[in-house]
Amino acid sequence: MIGYVTMGFAAGVLFSAKIDVPCAALFSALLAASCLSGTLSFAIVPPIASSAGLGEIALLTLAINFRYALYGVPMVDRWRGVPLLRKWFLIHALSDEIFALNVSCRIRRPETNVLYCTCNGVFCLAYWVAGSTLGAMAGKALPIPSKGIEFAMTALFMVIFTEQMKGLFLKNG
Amino acid sequence: MAEKVLYVFSAIAVGWAVTFLLRALPFLVFGSGGEKPRWLGRIDGFISPVIIGGLIVYSFSSLEWRTPWPYVALAATVAAYLAFRNSLAGIIAGTALYMALLSLAGCMVPVEAAPESSARNPPVRVGRSGIAFRGRHVVPDDVPRLLEKHGYSREKPLHILVDDDYDDKRALWVFKHNYIDRAGYTKSVWVHSQKGASGTVGILPKADGVKMPYQNTRSRGR
Repeated sequence: MIGYVTMGFAAGVLFSAKIDVPCAALFSALLAASCLSGTLSFAIVPPIASSAGLGEIALLTLAINFRYALYGVPMVDRWRGVPLLRKWFLIHALSDEIFALNVSCRIRRPETNVLYCTCNGVFCLAYWVAGSTLGAMAGKALPIPSKGIEFAMTALFMVIFTEQMKGLFLKNG
Repeated sequence: MAEKVLYVFSAIAVGWAVTFLLRALPFLVFGSGGEKPRWLGRIDGFISPVIIGGLIVYSFSSLEWRTPWPYVALAATVAAYLAFRNSLAGIIAGTALYMALLSLAGCMVPVEAAPESSARNPPVRVGRSGIAFRGRHVVPDDVPRLLEKHGYSREKPLHILVDDDYDDKRALWVFKHNYIDRAGYTKSVWVHSQKGASGTVGILPKADGVKMPYQNTRSRGR
């Protein structure tokens, strides 16, 4: 939870620092709620700031979030028969951390398991949106030194990369 | 401003659409009881690090990658992450160190004096062979980025040289509107080259009294 709020906060500060748009907090919240992807929330900021084409943004999103296409695979069978609207929400809220929690969930009963996944999604989404909004508001209101905050994105990638490397080598070696 | 709001809104919408489609992909493909191919499980562990590795390199483009600081901070990120076994610790430590290094060592990074745009020295040139930025051919998309990178001021007039034999006024207007005005350089002026009496090619601005059909008609300042 702390992680979600803090990361969202950093993303919000970055958003409001780099993109000059009225109601930055509102847009930051919208971005957080719609994409629910920490990586994208950071990575989408530079292209928007330099007014890149929408095609470029789509391509960037595709590259960054390609891994999400693999997250659904283990969930297909588990979420079979869930009402459509709820399933859409579950799919929408399938980010890195939520996926990790869902996958490691040991609840056997299907109903309880789906309920667990849903609660996971609702809470993480709420924390993430709250963090992003607060961050963007704080970034606008306070003179937080934002020079160099772009590094948060690189650091996030690096941490994910290190984690993956660890996983890869522990599995193989 | 409304344009900008719409743009940011549509950019977020694009991000959302692509993300959701990606997430829904397995459900669409295997949802109706299709067989999952075995290679899927195998590439999962392999393809993600490749993508993330590429993203790290990509993200360096928005950092001061010519200085040693991002590399130092990157090492600190990994060290803190491994030491505390906490991704947040790594991110905060690395970012804080990078920001500190950047602000402390800012004076060590040579800062080029911001170049001045003038009628004799226009940064952008438009002609039949295309668009040139400081003597180098570029695509129009790159112009706003290059102007920003070289530190041209949005507050001062920006001179755009138009070759004498170039008369596609519509293209000029579109270029100015889409790439110059939209990037915030609203004080651009057209400049035309004229052959001087001595035969040397000098660059002179059109006299102020002559109104060009495609001259900047936007209000200057507010």
